[in-house]
Amino acid sequence: MAGRSKTIIAAEALARQGQVGAAVHACYDALALGDQGAHVHALLASMMLEGDFYDEAIAEATSAIEADPDCSPAYLALGMAYDRRGGMWDQSVLVWHELAEVVPDLVTAHVQLGEAFAAAAYSEEAVESWRRALELDPREARATYNLAIASLKREGMALALPLFRQAGELDPSQDELFFALLGLTDAPIITVDPARVKPTREARLGAAGLALKADDLFSAAELVRAVLDEQPDDSEALALAAYAYLKQEAANEAMACALRAVSLKPDLAIALYCLGVVYARRTGLKRHAARVFIALAKKAPAHALVHVLLAESLLALQRYEQAGKAYRTAVRLDPACVRARFGLAATYLTEGRHAEASWEIRRAAYYDTKRQRLFWRLYDEYTAGGEES
Amino acid sequence: MTKPVDPKVTGPIRNALFPVGVDLYPLDDEHASFDDWYARDLTPDLTAMAAANFSLVRVFVSWKLFEPQVGQYNDDAEDRLGEVLAAIRGYDLKAIVTFFADDRFAEMNDVTWARKRDPRTDDYLIQREVSLIQRVVNRYRTDPAIWAWELGNEAFFTGFESEESLQKWTGALREAVREVDTARAIMLGVDTETLVRETGVDATEAIDGFEYAVSHVTAPYLSYIAEGPLTYGPATYLDSFLLRCGLRTLPVIADGIGVHSLEGSVAEEAAYVRTVLFSALMNRGSGVMLRRWRDMDAEKREPYFRDPYEVLVGLTDTGGESKPVLDEVRRFTRVAAHIDLRHHLPVPERAAVLIPAERHEPLPSLAGLYTPRSCLQSYIAAKEAHLPVTLVREGAPLDDTMVLFIPSVGKLTPSMWIRLAAFVQSGGSVVLSYGGGDTDPAIREIFGVEFLGDHGVRPVVSCRVAQPGLLGDLVAFDARFELPHYALVGGGSATVVATDATGSPLLTLNQYGQGRAVFIAAPLERAIAQSDPWAAPEPIRHFLRTVYGAVACAVGAGPVIDCDDPAVEIALFQAEDSDVVLVISHDMAPRTATLAADRVVASVTDVRGGPAAKVGAKSFGVPLGPNGAAAIRLAYGG
Repeated sequence: MAGRSKTIIAAEALARQGQVGAAVHACYDALALGDQGAHVHALLASMMLEGDFYDEAIAEATSAIEADPDCSPAYLALGMAYDRRGGMWDQSVLVWHELAEVVPDLVTAHVQLGEAFAAAAYSEEAVESWRRALELDPREARATYNLAIASLKREGMALALPLFRQAGELDPSQDELFFALLGLTDAPIITVDPARVKPTREARLGAAGLALKADDLFSAAELVRAVLDEQPDDSEALALAAYAYLKQEAANEAMACALRAVSLKPDLAIALYCLGVVYARRTGLKRHAARVFIALAKKAPAHALVHVLLAESLLALQRYEQAGKAYRTAVRLDPACVRARFGLAATYLTEGRHAEASWEIRRAAYYDTKRQRLFWRLYDEYTAGGEES
Repeated sequence: MTKPVDPKVTGPIRNALFPVGVDLYPLDDEHASFDDWYARDLTPDLTAMAAANFSLVRVFVSWKLFEPQVGQYNDDAEDRLGEVLAAIRGYDLKAIVTFFADDRFAEMNDVTWARKRDPRTDDYLIQREVSLIQRVVNRYRTDPAIWAWELGNEAFFTGFESEESLQKWTGALREAVREVDTARAIMLGVDTETLVRETGVDATEAIDGFEYAVSHVTAPYLSYIAEGPLTYGPATYLDSFLLRCGLRTLPVIADGIGVHSLEGSVAEEAAYVRTVLFSALMNRGSGVMLRRWRDMDAEKREPYFRDPYEVLVGLTDTGGESKPVLDEVRRFTRVAAHIDLRHHLPVPERAAVLIPAERHEPLPSLAGLYTPRSCLQSYIAAKEAHLPVTLVREGAPLDDTMVLFIPSVGKLTPSMWIRLAAFVQSGGSVVLSYGGGDTDPAIREIFGVEFLGDHGVRPVVSCRVAQPGLLGDLVAFDARFELPHYALVGGGSATVVATDATGSPLLTLNQYGQGRAVFIAAPLERAIAQSDPWAAPEPIRHFLRTVYGAVACAVGAGPVIDCDDPAVEIALFQAEDSDVVLVISHDMAPRTATLAADRVVASVTDVRGGPAAKVGAKSFGVPLGPNGAAAIRLAYGG
């Protein structure tokens, strides 16, 4: 690939800042000035994709591939445009297959390939693709969700539920919910030295929360213990202790602490969260989990994930209609919540509403791929490769 | 087997002013050859159509079959067309005869002797087309079965590359028909909005020379503007939006009604078609045409393959067995038949969404891509506020308009700003939402605000109400919702009605002359369209429809019949003795909508008859099933 013109470098800068209109103009300027490289068309394709203009994205990505058949970001944009547009699964399968071969470690290519296969009714090939994605990254939540949906279609909810639970546990935003309930959403991740924390309840609990956010369970435990030594019935300290136990997979201890905290302060959101989560993990306590999450949803209704947790507990109780309502609330609060989208798809499938289920799965893919910003990784690799050569 | 008509049903079964029709394609089997054109026995199909109370059937002429050699016409084909028309006449149906259509199967325009010349632009081929048309029209010009002649369908028209060539072609062929038949209507068979999206060619001027316009949703347009579920959200408003786009001087037939794929269940198909049929009647359509009568018996093929202009899904299956969607059509036809459109006239639309001229800007301007989406969301917001609303293009007369919504506009032409100023000064109201970039200096004069710059992207929309009650029942909110732009405005004659969390004006109201100008500092309509129109935060939707509703009500352009449910669309048809109200739900959840009139409603009756239910109040409830529809006759007094 020839070196990039100044105009296209300016276009890239604008695109990275999310200034779609200005970036498109700059790309056209570059084309007018004779920069007809694949990267210009790939960048344009990505901008069109950003604006959800799929036909335009397909045209630009195709031009990029015609200019350079090795232009991996163009394949990515093309595959996404096909998938998001819908109804073009045959082309989509080909593109993702190609990309999975060109960039074999690109987990998303395998996930998308699986979804394209699934939409084209090639179930076996779809499952194979998602398993390949999980081999590359065992923490790939969307592949797990897709396997859960495939299991639901084939074997029913009973066998699909463990997979849904497994996928939910891969979701890092659940921890974010706990810290949001604690009021630490915007708090930085810092190292806490318990010895330097003021010996007051508020200071110790605040520092314990920060330590938990930094995954420093020992410091958190030390600070919580100090509070509980002075006041054994401190509900907040007990809730923090419950969370620390949860993180260590010590379910019994977590349940004991959370239960005690809730008995002391029944509307304490962090305690309800911990208790609900620990109940949900225990077979036979699903009904309890649902009740706790109902209380949590009343206490913190603005958090999408709270409704997801409630919905998942209702799903486990096979109360699909109520689960669907909770999932829909979550989607309204956060349309980008992949976990809610897949859950909603599952409830639609239980009602035989396949079109709406597949729509929710497509929206989940839409938001997940937007979040990943994979285009820039591939684009930078592609342009750097060109510059080196 | 198609269900017979219930013999107990009495009263009118068709509405002459609102015909319901269906496309009868020449082939129903993918293995069939082009010369199997209407070779099958049409009796079962036409019998079932008549039983379902259809009025119109569209049939397609095959040029390839009619003129196998240059200037040599196939008498057998012409006779077969005569038999088809005779059969249609025998069932008391009328035909639309379409000349140059591409259905992807019957190779109707693939005349081998044309040698790859373009039938749209090649002078010689246009002459041959004129000859064909005149020959056919001349033979059947007195046939009472003919309702209209149609020159082509959109799959054919997408081959045009310029307005000039389109106008030249349509002009020549229209004149060819007119020379022979001066009585029957002529249609072009193309939707301006979908065609301009597909090809960039604006067919507006070409269409103006005909008697009817058509509107239809194509698969590419659906995926561009409202791709997603067909039972809720933007897709349920799209057909009426396009119908309104096409309504200028000609009556518009809502064409191509039906699903484009088999992704949905039969119940979803039926619900979607029900919504579209009712919304066509509610939005001044002059008739409806369903996409296909019988399913195409397609080859075993990859299940995901789909050509955007293939029409595979019909109202009956390949064996002629009716689907639930046909029952919907039958029910709708009976409802429409009971509304006398000579006496019951729709409430005039005093509110309009402006389609800015920037919609026609080509790339690299993104305005042409953003604008239709913003306009659709604006239209939906007005519908959610239950306003009788239409669409007007920038530059069109505003004589009947009292309130104008200009959604997320980047720029208007200088002449439009002058007209807008005159419109507001003379008592009109305008709601304009900022669309990004610099604003026109006229903003200061009309809207009473000083533009200070674009604050850029915002991840959260906040609203704090500074003047409660001034523009409806606004409530404060903070919603996670990405805005691409936010206009910073200050100091002027406008009253700040609401601000963001930092006190920067979000909504202002300015009295200008005798009218009112409302400015929304963010492109809310575009943001809804670009983010997730199926899951846009309710506070933002509420904000938009409240502002729209309040501004319209203040100038007397509000709803005559109001409703408490934004997902329910209302259309009122007024007459001297009684009114008819049509109600449809744009959602799949069952609900009871409470309708409120400004007079006491004595009783309500289903338009098809039955006992009257006493009301004796200004408001009453209408139970609606999933995507339900109702047609009610209102008697006032008491």
